[in-house]
Amino acid sequence: MTQSRDFGVSRRSFLAAAGAFGAASVAVPRMALSQDGSVLTVRSYSDLQVLDPAFRLSLPEDDIIRSIFAPLLIPQAGDTWGWKAIAVDSIEQLDDVTVSFRLKDNIGFTDGFGQMTAEDVKFSIERMADPAMESPYAGDWATLKEVEVKDKLSGLIHLKNKFVPLWTTTLPTPASCILSKRAMEELGDKITTKPVAQSGQYLLADWQPKQKTILKRNPDWAHEPGGFDEIHIIPIEDPATAERGFEAGDLDYTWTSVSSLPRLKENPPAGSVVLEKPSLAYVWLGMNQDNEALKDIRIRRAIQHAIDRQTVVDAAYFGAASVGNGIIAPGLPGSRDSVAYDYDPDKARALLAEAGASNLFVTLDILNQSERLTAAQVIQANLADVGVTCEIKQNDSGTFWTLGSKDGEYFMNLQLLLQRFSMQPDPSWATVWFTPEQVGVWNWERFDNAEYKALHDQGLSESDEGKRDEIYRKMQGLMDESGCYVFLTHEVVGAIHRDTIVPGLKPNGESLLSEFKSA
Amino acid sequence: MLMYSVKRLGLAVIIVSLAMLMLFSMIYLIPGDPAAVALGPRATEAMREALRIKMGLDQPVWVQFWNFFTNAWTGDLGNEVLSDRPVAEVVMEQLPYTLALIAGGISWSVALGIPLGCWAAVKRGSMPDRIVGILSVAVIAVPSFVVAIYALLIFAVTLRWLPAIGAGEPGDLGDQLVHLILPSLAVGLGWVGYIARMVRASMLEVLEAQHIRTARAFGLPENMITYRYALTIAILPTVTLLGVGIGQMLSSAVFAEIVFARPGVGKLVYDAILTRNYPLVTGAVLVTTVLFVLLNLIADLIVGALDPRVRSRF
Repeated sequence: MTQSRDFGVSRRSFLAAAGAFGAASVAVPRMALSQDGSVLTVRSYSDLQVLDPAFRLSLPEDDIIRSIFAPLLIPQAGDTWGWKAIAVDSIEQLDDVTVSFRLKDNIGFTDGFGQMTAEDVKFSIERMADPAMESPYAGDWATLKEVEVKDKLSGLIHLKNKFVPLWTTTLPTPASCILSKRAMEELGDKITTKPVAQSGQYLLADWQPKQKTILKRNPDWAHEPGGFDEIHIIPIEDPATAERGFEAGDLDYTWTSVSSLPRLKENPPAGSVVLEKPSLAYVWLGMNQDNEALKDIRIRRAIQHAIDRQTVVDAAYFGAASVGNGIIAPGLPGSRDSVAYDYDPDKARALLAEAGASNLFVTLDILNQSERLTAAQVIQANLADVGVTCEIKQNDSGTFWTLGSKDGEYFMNLQLLLQRFSMQPDPSWATVWFTPEQVGVWNWERFDNAEYKALHDQGLSESDEGKRDEIYRKMQGLMDESGCYVFLTHEVVGAIHRDTIVPGLKPNGESLLSEFKSA
Repeated sequence: MLMYSVKRLGLAVIIVSLAMLMLFSMIYLIPGDPAAVALGPRATEAMREALRIKMGLDQPVWVQFWNFFTNAWTGDLGNEVLSDRPVAEVVMEQLPYTLALIAGGISWSVALGIPLGCWAAVKRGSMPDRIVGILSVAVIAVPSFVVAIYALLIFAVTLRWLPAIGAGEPGDLGDQLVHLILPSLAVGLGWVGYIARMVRASMLEVLEAQHIRTARAFGLPENMITYRYALTIAILPTVTLLGVGIGQMLSSAVFAEIVFARPGVGKLVYDAILTRNYPLVTGAVLVTTVLFVLLNLIADLIVGALDPRVRSRF
């Protein structure tokens, strides 16, 4: 026995209501906040954790730090590497070991900490360089002797010896951000997530952990103002999520994954611009020369010859990236057009036979990311083609970044690894990780070459572009000869933004929030 | 009832303690150096060693476990490695977002699952019953992250009806609810199927019971019989199921939080594991374990209160 029930809503009225709701939703589509021109919403790949310039942890933090603590210089936005003055009226290299500076006259600190002075510059730079501070960035000022205060706004930066990367990878970074001496002495500790005595074009107005960081234009900043009233920075680790957020209208700017670039370039969302920038990063296949199976250089050389680099890069980066020939990206001194030992499977087979390495089995450790896995699978196929069996071992980031550490237990078992390092616009930033003192730290191939180390030191103080180019080419040649490296690519950086904004980007696509403007 | 409650509470404490012991054991089996991960490539060995000491990693595991456990009882979960903020503060900032997500998921599952289950039971053997059966199995079988991605693509990217990322402006309840719709649907949709199946099966059993036959014999309206006399009994297993389901939803919440870029404890733990931020992992897992056990305890107590036979069996 059943009875009919009356819910008070007929099927017809329900459908009508649903239809009206749908129509209303379409009629009033959601809009990006920035369309009124006052708020910029961007994605960062991680949330902020430390706002102290001396202890910063990630690029998104760099961007926030230099927006809220005025630096002497920032990198210049555009397609060529250079710098732009922020806190200084003038800055000049007087000789190999002396830089003079003069601050702008009216930069103030918030929270009642007064005007920025040369004394604050001295404090900030010497604080970072002080070994007692244990700043991971102390190396940026490793050649600092002292900062001399000339008067309220002027001073001299004295170096112990000539340091060419000063103008590319030290001054235009948060290493030149100026903190209030008085505020820091009162704080008595490093800055964590609550900034004190801000001084930049923007001020940190609110931080909602894991959700949003809000910067507001500094009302007391008397110089070139930031382009927006507010910048909302949304931490989104996954690039695909960020791309969906952009397509849904929730973001004005985001980096994209390389795999999405072809799709976005072919069919960009309405009112958006897709950018492709050359990256400075470098990706390579490394070989641990101290591992028993790879000790014979003929075997390592065979592997160098076995890898079809073009196919690896095309497969992993969907044709968006080109093959790289070293650790130094095009446009920097030391960039190369070719490698010494390229794809030649016949030569690889001959070398393996000569070394008596039939049925060779090797492991390849990679980070568990899709493009690394694709690259590893092509490498695996290349190696199989010359008779080498390769097992791919995927690792999460926490495990991967300790595999070659001499403090661990795995470093001698490590055989092949697919590795990627990011980079600053000076070749010394790439070469420093492969010196003998880095063996077992970040030099996991355990490449140990005294000539390489001497050239690295020479490069730091050589200011002649031609000679620097020669030095860094020679260093990469030594890496080729070691048989420990197969250089793959410098990757590519993809980004997408609304056509209502003009993003401020470094030549390698990294963002400079304070340089974003309305179109 | 008091004895029953005390016994359940004691069991809850044992479960939490064992869970933490297992977590601590597992953490130390995972390879990776938290100091190296936290400080990045530019840190010197001395800096890494200093951080290891600060994190207490230089001490034996059992000492670390004991310190953590004794401090946890006083509410001190230690400090987060990177920002040096108290772990309890970091977790408590994220917890409301996860609770809101789970509450939303439960709302979807209850609001859709119970009526569908009832309807299928009342229409037993008919086409609607079969359709509900097929749909229930279908939504159970679809993983929550797949629901999340499709919901996002349809309702946020294509139609632009709902936001794709974030949790809404703090203090703006309407905005927060709008941001909750898609993630909670992703978390709760699978449970619509579970609950519909459970309610249907339970209803069919109850609808055959003597007191329902008697009610029908007295000529009571079918709606009253179904919802007042049958459903109130048939819903009991669903309450227990929801208690267990909260644990499942906590794990689904990780996917929803990642796909919709929402803050929350699930994503917090995920990120902390990747960075080997052990104090944050242990603190957050302790809080979620306690939460899970507590909600199960509440579910058990509700069932115990509703059904005296359960109390007497324990």
